[in-house]
Amino acid sequence: MTKLKRIFMYIFLTAAAFISVFPILWMIISATNQSVDVTKGRLLPGTHFGENLTNLLQTIDLVPALMNSAKISISTTILSLLIASLAGYGFEIYKSKAKDVVFTILLLSMMIPFASLMVPLYRMFGSISQTMPAIGIDTLTSVVLPTVTTAFLIFFFRQSTKMFPKELVEAGRIDGLSEIGVFFRIYVPTMKTTYAAAAIITFMASWNNYLWPLVVLQSPEKMTIPLLISNLGSSYSPDYGVIMMAIVIATLPTAIVFFLMQKHFVAGMMGSVK
Amino acid sequence: MKKMMMLLMASVLFLAACSGSDSADGGGGSEQDSNKVTIWAWDPNFNIAALNMAKEMYEKENPDVEIEIVENAQADIVQKLNTGLSSGTSKGLPSIVLIEDYRAQSFLQAYPDAFHDMSDSFNVDDFAEYKIAPTSFDGKQYGLPFDSGVTGLYVRTDYLEEAGYTLEDLQGIDWNEYIEIGKKVKEATGKDMITLDPNDLGLIRLMIQTAGAWYMEEDGVTPALAGNEALKQAFEAYKGMMDADIVKPNSDWSQFVANFNSGDVASVPTGNWITPSVKAEASQSGKWAVAPIPKLSVEGAVNASNLGGSSWYVLNGDSSEAAADFLGKTFGSNADLYQQLVTEIGAIGTYKPASGGEAYEKADEFFGGQKIISDFAGWTEEIQGLNYGMHTYAIEDIMIVEMQNYLNGKSIDDVLNDAQAQAEAQLK
Repeated sequence: MTKLKRIFMYIFLTAAAFISVFPILWMIISATNQSVDVTKGRLLPGTHFGENLTNLLQTIDLVPALMNSAKISISTTILSLLIASLAGYGFEIYKSKAKDVVFTILLLSMMIPFASLMVPLYRMFGSISQTMPAIGIDTLTSVVLPTVTTAFLIFFFRQSTKMFPKELVEAGRIDGLSEIGVFFRIYVPTMKTTYAAAAIITFMASWNNYLWPLVVLQSPEKMTIPLLISNLGSSYSPDYGVIMMAIVIATLPTAIVFFLMQKHFVAGMMGSVK
Repeated sequence: MKKMMMLLMASVLFLAACSGSDSADGGGGSEQDSNKVTIWAWDPNFNIAALNMAKEMYEKENPDVEIEIVENAQADIVQKLNTGLSSGTSKGLPSIVLIEDYRAQSFLQAYPDAFHDMSDSFNVDDFAEYKIAPTSFDGKQYGLPFDSGVTGLYVRTDYLEEAGYTLEDLQGIDWNEYIEIGKKVKEATGKDMITLDPNDLGLIRLMIQTAGAWYMEEDGVTPALAGNEALKQAFEAYKGMMDADIVKPNSDWSQFVANFNSGDVASVPTGNWITPSVKAEASQSGKWAVAPIPKLSVEGAVNASNLGGSSWYVLNGDSSEAAADFLGKTFGSNADLYQQLVTEIGAIGTYKPASGGEAYEKADEFFGGQKIISDFAGWTEEIQGLNYGMHTYAIEDIMIVEMQNYLNGKSIDDVLNDAQAQAEAQLK
């Protein structure tokens, strides 16, 4: 009976794995095929890998766009981890009557779709541009700032902090550490896996972010990778081989980040402190 | 602690470095410069290529004007333009933008002050008449017409022959005759006559324009669905195709292209912009031809229609004079440019004086030696002009659902009356 169960479980898992892996496999295969073959649904690897890559490099400025995406994603990740973890830590460790009210308001802000914030936000950056063009519309900073921390991330850190032993904080205080010292010397090292999980989530979200960069970035030399891929697909006669190649390249960084931190990611999602 | 502080410092420096380089190259903040013209358009092989040719010609004679062409996807341009215009900040918006004709009125009517009046920058009579209504508003000409969305019936002559037809039999037919031919073709070859995406009613749009009808009244805001004879016939023809089992369904653009590249369908009634996609399958050279688009059997219907097509618009700002001058001297009056557009990228314009030129008379071997450009240019002049109005795509969303109801057996009058009621409620 148990053996039969196992067999069915493996059949089910194989099917599920195939369904989730197939699109990625097809993307990679398609990157080696001509556009006509891609639309016909060819499943065999082709011989056009080099050609697609050369065409891609000729049609779009891939490297600057990758650099832009990297600058934005890395700074967003570092800043938002710092800010959100400080906030999450504060919400859990310090006592205040107002904190639950503030936290509820914060959570409610998660319910507002970004599309409805876009026009006011754009206006805001429009007026910032008048006085401080260096962080106004059409700068990489303007992409980073609105996403520099999210209610979700604060929530995530607060939930993880619930499992963080408060005695450690007190021990630190008794040993003469300042409040900031307790945070950086005791909390941060203990919560490493939580940071790893949060870093992956933030990096991916930032790397794939589309709507806000689209609206706020105007000059071609500032465009990020998702924007360029969107351009490739908008032609009357799109070259699907080249598009697939671009998507493969755009997927690589997030895949690398994920695999590097995969171990911590799983641990982080379960909670850092056991 | 030290590590974390280092990280913090590094990230702050990093951000500062990003913004530093931004202000140094000054790419974006140049709208004060009245000689810098920024243009947004989509499709590198088509619109962007056309712009590059125009830019080259213009800069030779006007070296002091700097023209920057920015490529954005069409949906992205709509999004950016809507956000920018509705937030009321002109910062970051381009001097010239390409807008699809179906969408133009929604921008012109919603933001009339944002667009530059082009009436004096070119001669309206030089352009195909059907382009004028969608690109003007309130008696003023805002858009400079660009590409023609003139339609044709792309057809596989080899399949036709197997079914006992020639290209001659497809001249001047209506959609019912088209279905009859489709049935014979399917009988003889086993191939479907047409490929359709149930979520895209482009075929309905091009059908009703053969009769000079549209989803809206001439005012461009009142839905005109109930009792619309052309629309009724178009729906009936659509259902006729489904019932005759000559339709191969597709669910997106790539499948649509694949269905004719792989030789699975015998004809593609659509806009001339599909030519490069048809020719992408080089092995089918000589097997294709282009016939005039079938018409509805409504009085006054013609064998010519339009699908898609866009026009250039100038946004008000410091550089709008330079932008209008650029458009007027290139796309507005340069017949040589249009000859070059045809030869090099296969773009058919709507500038009438250009259509007599040599490039238009060239025979295309892929289409069995047919002079397709000259045929398309001829059909362009026959297209019935109409005001697409503000809500083409909003109404189409309603029609897509109602079309399914109709195919499932709801009566045509109920379908159109219900669609009318929904459209009126939604667009109030």
